[in-house]
Amino acid sequence: MNENLFASFITPMMFGLPLVTLIVLFPSLLFPTSNRLVNNRLISLQQWMLQLVLKQMMSIHNTKGQTWALMLMSLILFIGSTNLLGLLPHSFTPTTQLSMNLGMAIPLWAGAVITGFRNKTKASLAHFLPQGTPTPLIPMLVIIETISLFIQPVALAVRLTANITAGHLLIHLIGGATLALMSINTTTALITFIILILLTVLEFAVAMIQAYVFTLLVSLYLHDNT
Amino acid sequence: MPQLDTSTWLTMILSMFLVLFIIFQLKISKHNFYHNPKLMTTKTPKQNTPWKTKWTKIYLPLSLPL
Repeated sequence: MNENLFASFITPMMFGLPLVTLIVLFPSLLFPTSNRLVNNRLISLQQWMLQLVLKQMMSIHNTKGQTWALMLMSLILFIGSTNLLGLLPHSFTPTTQLSMNLGMAIPLWAGAVITGFRNKTKASLAHFLPQGTPTPLIPMLVIIETISLFIQPVALAVRLTANITAGHLLIHLIGGATLALMSINTTTALITFIILILLTVLEFAVAMIQAYVFTLLVSLYLHDNT
Repeated sequence: MPQLDTSTWLTMILSMFLVLFIIFQLKISKHNFYHNPKLMTTKTPKQNTPWKTKWTKIYLPLSLPL
């Protein structure tokens, strides 16, 4: 059962050809390019949503931080659309792969930290020592703050991976339980079915929330450093 | 856990780089966020002409009624 349970998280390759690249490319097909002055309904709706998210997320930044607007918006669209598409049955969700999430988290976090280091060196070093700490605690606190800084990209990646993977696993398990229970005791199967529906609603929310949290945290790291 | 099988990591990361950093950003950068149309003031600017206005009407096209 262990083998079967994790089967949906194996990277899809067909005879050595990376099928996974096409799967990662697919969400971008759902966001058509805006070519004209007045676009069709789909593009206008997506542009309106994008502007809403843009205003919400980038208003806290100064001019330097707002140069990251394009990056953060494509990040939230990518993670959100990938997570939502993963809720379709038998689909492969790229954000369950630790490799991809590490590849997203580490460059973005490193970019924010290095920007802070290069432009405001004293202020970014000052983050290692919160204000008002008693003197004997200083060495320990610097070590703790350093560890908490370096754990940020790992936490970003693992948070996204674990949340989406756990949600998918739960859906698999409860769906399998419902199916097995249907022939044995229909009432219990009904209860598990209701649990499955509630779980799916939760997963929709989680899909979007995780995208938001990832982008928000990157934006916070950016805010600290610009 | 199949996520920890590092043989596919390079493929995943490269395809993600392609999609996130190139394709999505190209698509979103094409969005035009234009301002809502506003009324323009139609007042004509005051011209400082020390000479007589009946001779300067043709030399001040901005003051002509459009």
